[in-house]
Amino acid sequence: MNGRETILASIRARRLAQTPRPTPYRAPPTTGDLPQIFAKKLSAQYADVRMLDSMADVPAAIADILRGLNMAARIHIPPDSELASLELANVEIRREPPGAFDAAVTTAPFAIAETGTLAYPAGKGAPASWHFRPVLEIAILRASSIVAELEDVLAALPVGLPSTLNLVSGPSRTGDIEQTMELGAHGPKALAVLIVRDS
Amino acid sequence: MNQDPREFPQNARAALNDPLLRPALGRLKTHFGAGRAAAVARYGDFEALREAGRDIRDYAVTHLDELLIAFEASVNARGGTVHWARDAAEARRLILSILQDAGARTVTKGKSMVTEEIALNPFLEANGIVPVETDLGEYIIQLRKEPPSHIIAPAFHLSKEQVADTFREAHTELDPARPLTERNALVQEARAMLRRQFESADAGITGANFLSAAEGAAIIVTNEGNGDLTRLLPKTHIVVTGIEKVVADMDDVAVLLRLLPRSATGQPISTYVSVMAGPRGCGEADGPEDFHVVLVDNGRSKLIGTEAQDVLRCIRCSACINHCPVYGAIGGHAYGATYMGPIGAALNPGMMSVAEAGHHANASTFCGRCAEVCPVLIPLPKIMRHWRAVEYAGGLAPKTIVRGLGIWAFAAKRPALYRFGASLLARILKMIGRGGTVHALPVMHGWFAVRDFPAPQGKTFQAQWRARR
Repeated sequence: MNGRETILASIRARRLAQTPRPTPYRAPPTTGDLPQIFAKKLSAQYADVRMLDSMADVPAAIADILRGLNMAARIHIPPDSELASLELANVEIRREPPGAFDAAVTTAPFAIAETGTLAYPAGKGAPASWHFRPVLEIAILRASSIVAELEDVLAALPVGLPSTLNLVSGPSRTGDIEQTMELGAHGPKALAVLIVRDS
Repeated sequence: MNQDPREFPQNARAALNDPLLRPALGRLKTHFGAGRAAAVARYGDFEALREAGRDIRDYAVTHLDELLIAFEASVNARGGTVHWARDAAEARRLILSILQDAGARTVTKGKSMVTEEIALNPFLEANGIVPVETDLGEYIIQLRKEPPSHIIAPAFHLSKEQVADTFREAHTELDPARPLTERNALVQEARAMLRRQFESADAGITGANFLSAAEGAAIIVTNEGNGDLTRLLPKTHIVVTGIEKVVADMDDVAVLLRLLPRSATGQPISTYVSVMAGPRGCGEADGPEDFHVVLVDNGRSKLIGTEAQDVLRCIRCSACINHCPVYGAIGGHAYGATYMGPIGAALNPGMMSVAEAGHHANASTFCGRCAEVCPVLIPLPKIMRHWRAVEYAGGLAPKTIVRGLGIWAFAAKRPALYRFGASLLARILKMIGRGGTVHALPVMHGWFAVRDFPAPQGKTFQAQWRARR
């Protein structure tokens, strides 16, 4: 018998009883102003969360974030992303993957209010690695795409699960040295989220 | 310290006298314990969540064959490959052959306790492949050639000064005079060193916190993002995990994700949760070209249908470890095994053998805190008691326990003798413990070295019972 058959046979031979499929669990409901709840939860995880009235306010917000972190006026935007047409005065735009000290701008198709989480299904124009390569990630999110819980995101994925689904709740951190939190372990040291109200 | 669970008593004694361990172990309560308590208090009905977690994992453990077959079919449908390893040696061989087929020379690694369990790194090195641990804690202990001392905080036992010394020794190409007194300087140095490794690695190996059968996905929770760079940048991604990690679908995973970070670090959710299903899909911008999952049995399936079956529900959060007074006194290395603390005590005698790891089950006061905090309600003390019974029945129990139990059993079967002996003992102990506490007794130096015993009131329980009736 090969490994597969041996393992399956071992499981079947020893099993005494089977428990039924449990009824679906319902988490305490997340209700109310979902963008507000989302912003509060994610801000508590060391992210810079800002509310904008329209996409027209995005360039000024990006410039302000870069200035506030003393970073060069240069951002990386993925090729083929819906931000490809974004125009920024006095900010250089690059298309190649960001390095460990660069800034990247991404779009989050979904976000989860329960935990303050951005949800990024990988796809065309949405490279998964860009959430981990830069030192600063600026995520643009439409207020209407904020849902209550992870189950809602899973149900809303248009063509099922892509090869990678990243859930991001704050900048990269580690507690591995003396159990004390430090930001910027491997991924971004700073995460900024621009929530754009739908006009 | 010897990496052999049979050496546990000697290792534990040495650890008790290790002053370097004290500050680290002090952080169990202030960091992990307090964090979990606050997170649980903020969640609505955490008990209902724990019960849901138990039921989801129980369903998985009692349907493992079906779920693993469904998982394999889902992975295949996405263009990935599933490999089945009966034991550690087979797992190592399978992983090596995947890496050799991919022509890999260097491999980055996300945190994986299963790859510790199967001793993968030394095997890869012996076969000309360089493994680089990328979780900060794992990276530090890999440089120091030490095993992890905690399942989610591998470098738990070290101070920042020790880490700085380790980095100075390892990163010889950097300026020896650079300041490394701040924790963040250490983190940034590791970030810079490891980024090069991510970008040049031929393959990446991660573990999995969960496998989702319906979607063919492996799910990892991390705070650093190293697991993602491990998966996404190299050409080949290999997931190595235990067969018991599978659950039915992503909705089950969503429930367990509410339990795991709260129980582990007290976070409502880890910074990153990554759902990894197959190689890069059609039209997707990045991701690996090849995707493999190695399912490791290595003593797990033989626990099914035994008194220890419930331990397979474990989601490796470490809450039991963080709340254990035994781990809190000796740390993780003393166990000489990959899994330490209460989960190790319940798992190791079954996965290894009672002869090898029986000491772990004996090292418990049965205070029950581990079961109180377990997110999937594993009756850990009950399982430890089971291993003690197996050990005793097999004649493997320590001689002092066998002899002590023998004397007690002899007396207990003779009521008059028992009454006489007990009342004599109660009076003697009362005399010795004049201040209300017994501080020492002959023959029991070991026990009294770290404990006191409250002196009896002078009358035995039986005598008082008779008087009150």
